[in-house]
Amino acid sequence: MIIDFPLIFESIPKMLMGIGVTFQVLLLSLVLGTALAIVLLLLRISGKWFLAWPSMVYIYIFRGTPILVQIFIIYHGLPGLDFVRESIFWPVFRDPFGCAIVALTLNNGAYISEILRGGVLGVERGLLEAGSALGLSLRQRFLYITTPIAIRLATPAYSNDVISLMKSTALVSTITVVDMTGIARTIVAETYAPYEIFISVAIVYLIITWFIQKAFGALERRMSRHVRQETAT
Amino acid sequence: MKKSLTLMMVGLATFALNVSGPAKAETLRVGMECTYAPFNFKNANGELDGYDVDVAKGVAKIIGADLDFVCQKWDGMIPALLANKFDLIAASMSITEKRMKKIDFSAPYRISVGRLVGSNKMTTMLFDDAGKPIAANFKGLRIGTGRATTYSHWFEAEIPSAEVVLYDSSEAMYLDLENGRVDMIMTNPMKAFLKFLSKPNGKGFKFVSPQVDEKKYFGIGVGIGMRKGNDALKAKIDKAVISLSKDGSLEKYARKYFPFAIHNEKWTQ
Repeated sequence: MIIDFPLIFESIPKMLMGIGVTFQVLLLSLVLGTALAIVLLLLRISGKWFLAWPSMVYIYIFRGTPILVQIFIIYHGLPGLDFVRESIFWPVFRDPFGCAIVALTLNNGAYISEILRGGVLGVERGLLEAGSALGLSLRQRFLYITTPIAIRLATPAYSNDVISLMKSTALVSTITVVDMTGIARTIVAETYAPYEIFISVAIVYLIITWFIQKAFGALERRMSRHVRQETAT
Repeated sequence: MKKSLTLMMVGLATFALNVSGPAKAETLRVGMECTYAPFNFKNANGELDGYDVDVAKGVAKIIGADLDFVCQKWDGMIPALLANKFDLIAASMSITEKRMKKIDFSAPYRISVGRLVGSNKMTTMLFDDAGKPIAANFKGLRIGTGRATTYSHWFEAEIPSAEVVLYDSSEAMYLDLENGRVDMIMTNPMKAFLKFLSKPNGKGFKFVSPQVDEKKYFGIGVGIGMRKGNDALKAKIDKAVISLSKDGSLEKYARKYFPFAIHNEKWTQ
């Protein structure tokens, strides 16, 4: 097998034209998914069964089905329902980009919610008892003790999820969104060179992953700087 | 029963003798798949039927030849022609440079074109009277078409400003047209008619453009294939195909299956 290097150098710039779309899908569904996750988490730890149960069922469904199937249900399935097409949300579902964001948000929200819950459960009981002894209310304890510690504890798992979401964005090319993978598939269909093109696009994803890793590494170090100072002195 | 059949055969034989006259007609063997409806297929009575079959019969009538049809699998079509299993191919075979290295083709008797399908309610003028696209009128319209097809190449080159959505399957494309995700689709008009416009789902949609047939993108079309070197036969068949086009026969053959002609209508002008 001979690798066509000129073709690789020719196609990488073309695929990079889709990097904007890839990042838009990533950032929008990350922000919206995190917001959804916080809501799901609050319902889950509310201590009231009628709030916790819907949240658990939701998480079970969206973690328990393939993301590709969810994308297809939202993109191909929803327009079949008349009330969806007549609703005010139709402009979102009409647009493949809108469907992509909705699908990745719903899916990712379920995962992030569980990551955050792990962080909340990891907060030491003693700290909360101390807060209670100091006269802090339940709400104050949650905001000033649980939240900062839970965020710190959840960050490594969260960064893992961001990388996983970044790779999931490639799936939106199946519903006509022109992201990097979408452009790669078109180039493959033109050149019949799947090996060169898909390896090139894989390299671009690897580079993005490297940046995400570095960014979260820096963030983790900053958040745990009190620990390091202790060991240094 | 048997007797009447024999009588009939005798009658037919004398009839045939009478018309064919003194010169014995040449018999041309024609290869086709016999399974490619509506172009060449066996109908409910077990007879060969379809557009390719009608064209072959029409040509044979003009050049005064008899026909024998030979059914042949697609991948062995050109080898079988070269091995003298038959003399002509009338099997919806597109004229391509690669094939022309091995065999000759007649003048095209069927088009290779693209056509836009959109809502019945569409009134935008997309093409001028000369059949050239008016790029400005494509603004704001989403057009679905196949990934890396002649249609997508045509849009890239001729109307680069158009918002083209690329599909991997025509079913997904028809579905998105129905759902209003795209305003139009560009595709093969025969396929669009058979698979979409003639079906209940295709109600409310129609062709919204003339045939787009620029040779540079769409090729020449479908022709009758024959072995190289028989220029006399090729000349006769070319003439016959063009006269079938001019006298409206090609359109008549097409209208058995489609509500439109599928050859290049410009020849009749």
